Amino acid sequence: MLSIAVTTIIQPRDERTQPARIVPGYPQTPWRNPRQPLLRRPPTLSELTGPVGLAQRVGLLGGDIAGHGERQAIGQLIHLRARVLDEDGAPVGGTLVEMWQANAAGRYIHPNDDDHAPPDPNFYGAARLLTDASGCFELRTVKPGAYPVPTRDGWWRPPHVHFSVVGKVWLSRLVTQMYFPGEPLNAQDRLLNAVPDAAARERLVAQHVAPTGDPHNALVFEHQIVLRGRSATAQQQ
Amino acid sequence: MRRAALIPTGEATVGPFFPPRYIDAGANDLTMLDGRKAKGEPIEIHGRVVQEDGAPLENLLVEIWQADAGGVYRHPADPREAQADPDFLGWGRAATDGQGNYRFRTIRPGAPAGRAPHINFMVMCSGLMRILKTAMFFEDGNDPVLLAVPPSRRSLLIAKNQYEFNIRLRGKGETPFFDD
Repeated sequence: MLSIAVTTIIQPRDERTQPARIVPGYPQTPWRNPRQPLLRRPPTLSELTGPVGLAQRVGLLGGDIAGHGERQAIGQLIHLRARVLDEDGAPVGGTLVEMWQANAAGRYIHPNDDDHAPPDPNFYGAARLLTDASGCFELRTVKPGAYPVPTRDGWWRPPHVHFSVVGKVWLSRLVTQMYFPGEPLNAQDRLLNAVPDAAARERLVAQHVAPTGDPHNALVFEHQIVLRGRSATAQQQ
Repeated sequence: MRRAALIPTGEATVGPFFPPRYIDAGANDLTMLDGRKAKGEPIEIHGRVVQEDGAPLENLLVEIWQADAGGVYRHPADPREAQADPDFLGWGRAATDGQGNYRFRTIRPGAPAGRAPHINFMVMCSGLMRILKTAMFFEDGNDPVLLAVPPSRRSLLIAKNQYEFNIRLRGKGETPFFDD
């Protein structure tokens, strides 16, 4: 019997499109990044498979975190239309996306965040959903505020949104951050600028687009996330 | 003809504020799925994660991926997917506590085709700009991934004492990590 197995090819990335591992001025990086060279290993089925059906394991929260009914978060309402693709441009559907962000004042709901800015009782800042069949997902949220990093040299993180995406296989797992266009703090941010290639940095910045119809009360942004991996169709006896 | 490939999005650190609610209750117990027990031998894996100076890392995220008791991955790329245990997903997530300790309950994996039994690990934390990937083995053996590790460092990937797997991100006794 002939069966078709979808296999994924993972190729090395261009290092200039990925952040430096040790970032000057980001104090924890020298203690936590391996000193030994990373090892190349042959690809096997184990790394070229990955979790499927994670909604059976984790609770989904949906993508509307700007408020519920009359409990509206404070801040500039934004609508994000995002798409998850592989390196062939093929949509990655049904994959788990986890998003988290600070509130409009730059405060996270997390025991690690101190009291530099007020919490918003109507904003938790975490959306969790699956991409649709065309790899798309939509978020309704408020624009995150900037916040100071606890270093003594005045470093502030620009407004940004964190994304964790599972992808089709173990090696396509991605954790990244999305930035906003036109933010003066972008040019100084040590994490965004840890990516050497200017075009690769630009792809971490969402695009502001004109709203079309609904929602009429939100700024609209679009963003594309590209996961590692190209498809190969293998025929197996 | 193939189109030019898109460039993969740049990674970034998970940072210190990964929402605690994303560490779902039961996400570190792979032995149960929707109230049903997976097939095979239940085991416990625990370990401590430290940085260069030996300080334990709290709030570090650990994820694992593995085959089921029969050595099958519940994924369409596995030609034996139809035989995968329907009650075993193969994925788990845990966060380290104040002493740097994590813990999973899982099923001892079978040997996938061409591989020794093993469990894939990835770790993410504040200060790590990219995900670090490694693998835990149950014993030394003829495995292509283990053989990619210099002989002097292989023992660092082999679990001790049914089953303890400590991870050192940097420094003496540093865990071997893979660049894929």
